[in-house]
Amino acid sequence: MIEEHLDFNLLRKCADCGACYNVCPSCLYIEGYDPRAVIKDILKGDFEKWLHSEHIWQCLECHQCLELCYQHYGFENAMTAMRLLATKKGIHPAQVKRGWDMFVKTGRLGEPAMGQRKRLGLPEPKKSGKEEFLKLLAIYKERKAQEKNRGEAEL
Amino acid sequence: MKEFAVFWGCTIPARFPFIEKSVRTVLNGMGLPWRDCEGFTCCPEKSLINNIDHGLWVLTGARNIAIVDEQGLDLVSPCTGCISNLATIKGELHVDHRKKEEVNSMLKEVGRKFTGRAGLNHLVPFFHDKVGAFRIKSAIKKDFRGMRFAVHYGCHMMRPYHALKNDDPLEPKKFDTLISWLGGESVNYMTKLTCCGQGLDRVDQHPTALQMARVKLKELKSIGVDAMVLCCPSCFLQFDNNQFLMEKEGESYGIPVLYFTDLLGLAMGYSPEELGLNQHRISVDGFLEKWERLWAARDTEKKIAEEFKEEGAFI
Repeated sequence: MIEEHLDFNLLRKCADCGACYNVCPSCLYIEGYDPRAVIKDILKGDFEKWLHSEHIWQCLECHQCLELCYQHYGFENAMTAMRLLATKKGIHPAQVKRGWDMFVKTGRLGEPAMGQRKRLGLPEPKKSGKEEFLKLLAIYKERKAQEKNRGEAEL
Repeated sequence: MKEFAVFWGCTIPARFPFIEKSVRTVLNGMGLPWRDCEGFTCCPEKSLINNIDHGLWVLTGARNIAIVDEQGLDLVSPCTGCISNLATIKGELHVDHRKKEEVNSMLKEVGRKFTGRAGLNHLVPFFHDKVGAFRIKSAIKKDFRGMRFAVHYGCHMMRPYHALKNDDPLEPKKFDTLISWLGGESVNYMTKLTCCGQGLDRVDQHPTALQMARVKLKELKSIGVDAMVLCCPSCFLQFDNNQFLMEKEGESYGIPVLYFTDLLGLAMGYSPEELGLNQHRISVDGFLEKWERLWAARDTEKKIAEEFKEEGAFI
């Protein structure tokens, strides 16, 4: 399942290299954050335990590793895949779920602060694309369901 | 200059309307051809949406870009997260025609089409590349000679490079250049390009977020700067709000945090209130006082020089 999300050939080199330890802010400043330990376990097929770890949420997605990496790959991809798998299993920080719920309900992650805007003399904010977004979301969900059905039929 | 839409994103209008005011004031003051657009949604945020559903992330971003595409506008954002996400999505669709067709077949059902014609810019490189030194320097009434600034780029202003292509991703220069155009000194420091760490606050790891904020604040306190300058609402939250929280707990840093447009606006002659500076959690009074003092000293110098001149001295 995890092979869907990660290129193991690139990841193997990643496990041996580790050049990005020198630029990764989390590696430098967060105790116990060690992406190669995660990557080695992924390669061994023994990554389940990491899905519960707070470390997989500590990648800041600053893309420093991506820019430095000679494969243009980096730790970030491994962490993103782990987060995805964790989320699919329902293991995630509560805040992530709250953000997601708000996004699929309103198309935004926060509504304009109207009182403060008025005090500052800011103009009325332009209408958001909420309704159109919700329509698009329904179309997207429908397509995804169709694809899934087709996939199952082919199997 | 091509007309552009400003993409405010979610965080600035929701949490920091005073930043919106600062950006609006400066854009209008410079007489730039910009407008607000109807119909935008969240960019959407990468760490949250992309981690859960990549397809929806791309589709939502493509829809936002389609809005400016259709109107023949470029897009400029004062938020690094928004611009990085939108540019990454645009880049992905440009190299994957099948995906582009798929996305457009869904957008068609709501009457939109993604072409990717619109240029996507972050406000800082936009001011550097498109507004340019001449226009900026012509707009300045009072520069920042004698003031020391710590530029904090914010990761997503120039990364990922393959999507944004607007500055060196590991050794950016444009923000520093803008500071020098404003007459200030952009100091070099060890942790200059280190991520602010605010992302940790979005995954329920507040103490670790504070730990990351300390890294930079401690260094800046030790080398001594007049202010930190940045142009990202997330970074602003980390260094203004979180610094304030730590000061309440007894730590002391005292580093004022300015948005790029705050600095430019002050130089253009706008008052701190017009730029919403009185709403920052960390007081900027000390910074403003020093600036006033430097200018007052210059006035005195000038007066003395004139008096000597009248007396026939060789000045």
